[in-house]
Amino acid sequence: MLMQFQKGDIVRHLGLLDLQRTMQRALRRSGLPIAYSNGFNPHIVMSFASALSSGIPGDAELLDVSLHGETTEEACMEAMNRVLPPALHVSRIRLVDDRFPKVSAALRQAEYRITLWGEDALKIAGAIPDFLAQSEIMALRKTKRAEAMVNIRPMIHLLEAQTNAETKTVVLTARVSFVEAATLKPDLLLSSLCAFAGVDTPKCEIRRTCLLGEKDGQSVPLIDL
Amino acid sequence: MLKEQIDSLLDRVQKPARYMGGEMNCVLKDPESVDIRYAFAFPDVYEVGMSHLGSRILYDIINKRPDALCERVFMPWVDMADLMRQEGVPLFSIETRSPIGGFDMLGFTLQYEMSYTNILEMLDLSGIPLRSEDRTWDHPIVIAGGPCAFNPEPLYAFIDAFSIGDGEISTLETIDVVKQCKQEGVSREECLRRLSKLHGVYVPSLYRAEYHEDGTLASFEPTEEGVPRTVVKNMIADIDKADYPESIIVPYMEIVHDRINIEVLRGCTRGCRFCQAGMIYRPVRERSVEHLLDLAQKLVDATGYEEITLSSLSTGDYTCLPELAHKLMEKFQEERIALSLPSLRLDSKLKETLEETQKVRKTSLTYAMEAGTQRLRDVINKGITEENLMSSVSDAFAGGWSSVKLYFMFGLPTETTEDLNGIADLASKVVRKYFETPKNVRARGLRVNCSASCFVPKPFTPFQWEPQDTIEQFEEKQKHLCQIMHIQGVEFNWHTPQVSFLEACFARGDRKMADVLEAAWRLGCRFDGWTDQFSFENWMKAFEQCGIDPAFYANRRREKGELLPWSFIDAGVTEAYLWREHERAMRAETTPDCRKGCQGCGLKRFEGACEGR
Repeated sequence: MLMQFQKGDIVRHLGLLDLQRTMQRALRRSGLPIAYSNGFNPHIVMSFASALSSGIPGDAELLDVSLHGETTEEACMEAMNRVLPPALHVSRIRLVDDRFPKVSAALRQAEYRITLWGEDALKIAGAIPDFLAQSEIMALRKTKRAEAMVNIRPMIHLLEAQTNAETKTVVLTARVSFVEAATLKPDLLLSSLCAFAGVDTPKCEIRRTCLLGEKDGQSVPLIDL
Repeated sequence: MLKEQIDSLLDRVQKPARYMGGEMNCVLKDPESVDIRYAFAFPDVYEVGMSHLGSRILYDIINKRPDALCERVFMPWVDMADLMRQEGVPLFSIETRSPIGGFDMLGFTLQYEMSYTNILEMLDLSGIPLRSEDRTWDHPIVIAGGPCAFNPEPLYAFIDAFSIGDGEISTLETIDVVKQCKQEGVSREECLRRLSKLHGVYVPSLYRAEYHEDGTLASFEPTEEGVPRTVVKNMIADIDKADYPESIIVPYMEIVHDRINIEVLRGCTRGCRFCQAGMIYRPVRERSVEHLLDLAQKLVDATGYEEITLSSLSTGDYTCLPELAHKLMEKFQEERIALSLPSLRLDSKLKETLEETQKVRKTSLTYAMEAGTQRLRDVINKGITEENLMSSVSDAFAGGWSSVKLYFMFGLPTETTEDLNGIADLASKVVRKYFETPKNVRARGLRVNCSASCFVPKPFTPFQWEPQDTIEQFEEKQKHLCQIMHIQGVEFNWHTPQVSFLEACFARGDRKMADVLEAAWRLGCRFDGWTDQFSFENWMKAFEQCGIDPAFYANRRREKGELLPWSFIDAGVTEAYLWREHERAMRAETTPDCRKGCQGCGLKRFEGACEGR
């Protein structure tokens, strides 16, 4: 069962472990035919497409849960929304068979919406065309193991700004690579962009709006793969 | 505005899930639809407070009333508390992030003395005057209950009214009174006066304490007519009929006891002489097997928890434990729900049940031996023998357990070096038992976890007259223990005596301790139960500032007949009974469980108590 859910603003601080526990308990309450692992401490067989950092809300996160019996998408949807708090609302269910690829491995890109406020926000929006025109954008990428200067330009697939000059609000839509070898975190993208625009990173709000996979050379929402 | 402000603070603190709210099964009510808004406060962090069963019971009971709502509040961790002060954010409730100062009632649960500074911190963060006398109707009525309310005096200045004993009915009665007073528009003083007339409620401002020159209590009297001289604890005779939550909040973050907790019985009559809970929660009252099975099913359905704990002071004493455990096991095996039985008594007929428990999951075994020799165990009336322990661990090792916890106390009355050596002796014997178990039967990786805590004499126990060991005595004994506890396979843990010393001061403190408490809080003391936050130095400074000698409370022997600060409370057990037990302790004479014959503790005076015994 592929379950697309929202990680709402009020629960944005949940870490992966908290979210895992919450989902497990909700699944247990749901009455759905959940599959358990074998072994000494049986647990629910499930995996998230991607761990969303604590502090960032998400509009369409994805959880893959193994079921071992017959059910319908409508029944799953109803059952899960009955047992999950409103802040973790399920927006879509798709039942797929075991041949469906592992969701975390199928993930290619992620889309973020970054809202910026203030005078600098407008400068940042203005700098986008020139920023993208560069053939190479070097940035310091930190991973668990090492730090390295990498060219992040190929990892940016889309970067657009919607500007409201009156309220000095800029909403960026950014689609970036999300694969093991080349993941671009939105905060790194933002700090590179701000450095390019010559301003400090302003007050901002980041949310993940979509997780994407690739089908016939096209980017599609992971759940539609 | 406040809500957004709080939200932005959450980006800047450790463990924001502590303040997040919105958990599954939390109760949200429209404030306009109720007469009384009750804030239920646990003076420690969320993950500790959410693990407390009593709070969950009262939260449920208050919210069941259509005319009241109950929201939770916990002590924010130091990072959050400091940020809140900095940004001018008042203490707020978890459910709706409303300022605590605006609630009608604020109820604190007093689970341990070392949380007292947190109460002052929480009042201050709420903008509520610390002292009861400075409050008006603009502030909530501040109530406190729980085990520490049996000696409320160190908090007398800060709490408007204490509720003593079982809270299920009393809490509702206090709500009725406050509601009526608000509707009638009477003064706050009148409201407190009316509260003082409720059964089991103590309003400290309506009593006067006078002291002898040596600091002991000379008299303790109500200041006006009609205020009861003695406050008799509340006792619910039939807990099977008492409300119990059928749905509980499921926190997002991991809490200390992250499971379903079902109270199978209340009270304990084994009569361990150091144990306050065993005295103040008398008599023993049980829930029926049918009720418990029904509750278990409802709670599993409502929460999705994967573990159930049967809790009480002594679950092994539950009359139908094998039947209950068996039925629970049968019912929930399919759903892969583990059953754990804490505070297991060695001498209960539990072998059968234990063997079934391990079918689902293996939990570690805990033995509260409390003292190292039979003589000292007789003094404290801990009815466990070395043979009990040995036969039980022998079975456990043969059954595939390899992890055992042993709990001891030191500094007990009449203790000698021989008793301390007995602790090491018992631990070695447990290790030997493991190695005697055939290799092909026993599990690998022996772990004997042995811990020794400092004895704290508590009110309403036969040791309430006894001096506590001084810090120096404790340290000396500790040094000795550390030397003799170098045993292969045994890990020895001990607690620092400084905290136990302060605990002893508050446990048997009088009104003068209130000033020390406030002084300590003003010096920055809070979270005293947390080793990384505890500052003994500041506490000693506070005693000095108030000109009070802590040894007067901790290390002084009380004479028989001394008017004790908690004497005005009738906790069920009588002073005559406690003194009798004290004398028997000094003679190392044991007293059998009263279920084998009434010991005249005083509970029979209560209607409906000890029925069928």
